[in-house]
Amino acid sequence: MSEVKIKSNNLNVFYGDKQALFDVNLDLNEKEVTALIGPSGCGKSTFIRCINRMNDVIDICKVTGNIEIDGVEINDENLDVVSLRERVGMVFQKPNPFPKSIYDNISYGPKIHGKGETKSELDEIVERSLKKAALWEEVKDRLDEPGTGLSGGQQQRLCIARAISVNPEVILMDEPCSALDPIATAKIEELIDELKKTYTIVIVTHSMAQAVRVSQKTGFFHLGKLIEVGKTEKIFKNPDNKMTQDYITGRFG
Amino acid sequence: MTKEQRLKKRHAAEKRFRLYGLTSILVALVFVLILVNNIFSKGSSAFMKTVINVEVFFDPELIEIENGAPEENIREADFYDITIETLLKAYPAKNLDEENELIDLFTTDAEIEIKKAFLENNNLIGKKINLEITASDDIDQLHKGNYPRNLPEDRRRISNFQLKIYDNLLKNNKINKNFNNYFFNNGDSRDPELAGIGGALVGSFYSIIICLLLAFPVAVLASIYLEEFAPKNKITDFIEININNLAAVPSIVYGLLALQILLATIQLPRSTPLVAGITLALMTLPRIIIPCRASLKAVPPSIREGALAVGASKFQSVFHHVVPLSLPGTLSGTIIGLAQALGETAPLILIGMVAFVVDIPSTPIDPSSSLPVQVYLWSESAERGFVEKTSATIMMLLSFLIVMNFIAVYLRQKFEKRWN
Repeated sequence: MSEVKIKSNNLNVFYGDKQALFDVNLDLNEKEVTALIGPSGCGKSTFIRCINRMNDVIDICKVTGNIEIDGVEINDENLDVVSLRERVGMVFQKPNPFPKSIYDNISYGPKIHGKGETKSELDEIVERSLKKAALWEEVKDRLDEPGTGLSGGQQQRLCIARAISVNPEVILMDEPCSALDPIATAKIEELIDELKKTYTIVIVTHSMAQAVRVSQKTGFFHLGKLIEVGKTEKIFKNPDNKMTQDYITGRFG
Repeated sequence: MTKEQRLKKRHAAEKRFRLYGLTSILVALVFVLILVNNIFSKGSSAFMKTVINVEVFFDPELIEIENGAPEENIREADFYDITIETLLKAYPAKNLDEENELIDLFTTDAEIEIKKAFLENNNLIGKKINLEITASDDIDQLHKGNYPRNLPEDRRRISNFQLKIYDNLLKNNKINKNFNNYFFNNGDSRDPELAGIGGALVGSFYSIIICLLLAFPVAVLASIYLEEFAPKNKITDFIEININNLAAVPSIVYGLLALQILLATIQLPRSTPLVAGITLALMTLPRIIIPCRASLKAVPPSIREGALAVGASKFQSVFHHVVPLSLPGTLSGTIIGLAQALGETAPLILIGMVAFVVDIPSTPIDPSSSLPVQVYLWSESAERGFVEKTSATIMMLLSFLIVMNFIAVYLRQKFEKRWN
């Protein structure tokens, strides 16, 4: 059994008057893939956006309760979100490479964190990140071309490489394959399998099959509440909760 | 209604709409054509001037200087006698009245032109040269066909005798048309043949530069702060509404403001490009802030999130990613704002730029005119020569505006390509 990396305790999130998460208690294990499933608007994305404090961007969003990473409280006003996000990377639903060259897309993170002082250090980081994201072979000859010129699947792997470039501990993925075709999806899933050796991964997905394929642990959300969480195998074969059963068999959602 | 009838009706509605659209575009085009045609037909002749070919004899008895004299001496020397001699040789005049009428065919600056020709060589004493002297405004207009010669003599500015001389000179091929360098190099003048937009050009240039230097940084920083950093609350809403209101305030109100604050209270020098630039900057500020904010808003939030997610601070995400991407919109908004400022007349009239300024301003704190005000000034002048000058100035102003708008479109297209 691997160790708990992220621990949420009575996490509540409000968007103005509307409550989006109700008392979520969820533990995420180190170097494991945790899948979050549930119908649209159930709060899965809201939950992972709490882990890197991305909800700070939304003015009306208020978060109460605790989230700890390695035992350190991160839902704390005095915490520096920049260093938090250096440790917790994120990949979004729609690929969002910067409209710059492939090289600049990857080297941006290390540059602002002072990780690549010299050109050769940066070159190395770029190569390592792209290799880890399984994109190196496809783009090594055109690093100075715009990242936005790649195909959708390549763009998403570029975004994963960008997240890896600052050497985080956790990678959050918010429906990373929802805009991709099946072949690109398969590549990303393979990649996730590889990445979990190094990183703790949380993935939000609408595809039950994907959750089964990539994750070791699955959490089912409904209307802002965490209904059930457990080993992926158990959730999909023999869930405790009737609602989970109905959802994974496609009776609602 | 049957299905066919509904289909027919739908198609007819679409056709009708296309027709309306086409008609309105055609109407707009016709108006533009009328305007452009009117300005061009009146103004294009102003770029040429009528000159009269005369023979100048630098008679040593009439000039006190010698060949190779120092330049200052020549500038101070009296060329009046030789000028009169020269002009009188153009046609035999019988008495003093006729001599005066003959001299009136030439510009009042004839002496300066002869002196200039001498300065160019400085070895012409005792020699004869052929020189083209600018004709007076009346002859200029007559030669360009703008002056009716079939009026009775007492209602004409040109006498019968002058007409006779003109016809004679024309017959001997002594009258030509040259490029009108005065129009671009001179300041304003009471004599239309000498009046130019040089002063107005320089005045407008200084005003726009000052306007740019003041308005651009303030507008860009204000819009970045309001769009990216300011909390969204009642105060920022109020500020936003007021910026929109300020952009719609009639420009003459800014003129009144400048009159009271810049001229009466701070006592900056009147009629100067400095004051004009500050006034135009106040007026242009909200007009730049609005497109700047729009172009910042147009940068997709996913770019901001992408930057934040790799650990960029708010400041870094804005200045490394959002601002560069909004640059094309910001720049084209600024240029269009400046183009509006360039054509602005009312506030400049209030701060005293309608003054008659002969000298070309050498600094922004010299009294000056500006292009649109020059149009206004000349359009009120009685002489026929100013009619074409007015239209020509409008042509210059319009071409500056067109160039600026083209630059705006070009910048937008060039930099937006980097998106994809």
